[in-house]
Amino acid sequence: MEQKWGFLVEEYRAMLYRIAFSNMKNRADAEDAVQEAFLRYMKEEKPIQNKEHEKAWLIRTTIHICLDILKSGWYQKTVPWNESFENAAKHIYLPYQVRDDETLEAVLRLPVHYRNPIYLFYYEDYTIHEIAVILNEKEGTIKTRLRRGREEVKKILTEGRP
Amino acid sequence: MGIQEVQNQSQAPAYQKKKKAGRAEGFQESFLQNLKNRDRAKQADTAVETEAKQAVADTQTEVKTKVDKVGMGRIGTAPGIRVNAAAMQKTLQAVEVRHMSYEESDHVRIAVTEGYTLKGKREEGEEARVYVEAKYEDGRVEAYQVDMAKVTGQTAHVIEQFALETMQEA
Repeated sequence: MEQKWGFLVEEYRAMLYRIAFSNMKNRADAEDAVQEAFLRYMKEEKPIQNKEHEKAWLIRTTIHICLDILKSGWYQKTVPWNESFENAAKHIYLPYQVRDDETLEAVLRLPVHYRNPIYLFYYEDYTIHEIAVILNEKEGTIKTRLRRGREEVKKILTEGRP
Repeated sequence: MGIQEVQNQSQAPAYQKKKKAGRAEGFQESFLQNLKNRDRAKQADTAVETEAKQAVADTQTEVKTKVDKVGMGRIGTAPGIRVNAAAMQKTLQAVEVRHMSYEESDHVRIAVTEGYTLKGKREEGEEARVYVEAKYEDGRVEAYQVDMAKVTGQTAHVIEQFALETMQEA
């Protein structure tokens, strides 16, 4: 059993950490969110149907945990110690080389409803259908958010503001 | 008073065909002038229309030229089938999508502001070929096989450029 959890954590840890970091922009909080997601998965009573369902469940739960932390009163009254938002992109270790840190920084500065679809589509290589399942939205909504989010990224890159 | 007499009284007076001097000539002149003006207006309209058509044609040619240069996302439609226009190029061949992951790829380009991602992998074999998978913002995924022997270093085609980069990375 322990070995099963070990494999599970090893398989998804890096990807979930990147997704959590894209939301939290803080290493410690991102690690907490991922840990909490694995704990919830272990406690989950409903059966997970297959590998895809498992992956989608973990991503969705991680995003929800991040949003809960961001909304919490404690988080809003505190500031992260010794972490600079400006270098947020450097803390995301993607499994391939990304030469354009500036664009990734701009993506991380997007509002949450644009950031998650854009991050999952471009940086984690999910399809629109998969993102719709993960975020529990319609495919049309995801397409619209991708298009509008891209416009927002352009604005950030050209005008320096979202 | 008899009926006949009443009829005679109610009879309308005969129309007096009095010809006013110069009136008919004036009407004829203005009518001819109107005809001339109408012809001129029609000619002007035709000129404007021709100009507009030319402008539209020019724009379409310009867009087509740009698309030819970039060569991405062009989908040609024929009755009943969808044909990828990029497949027409000598160096590119449309192939079946393998859904390759980023980890499996030799080279990745993420173009958020342009709305696409490219994944490239050098094919194993004697001939230098690169498999390129393009994913667009609208959900389309297309795959190409690039014959590197035919690609020149100065190519402006995005997929060919990317294939060259993939060869260097691999």
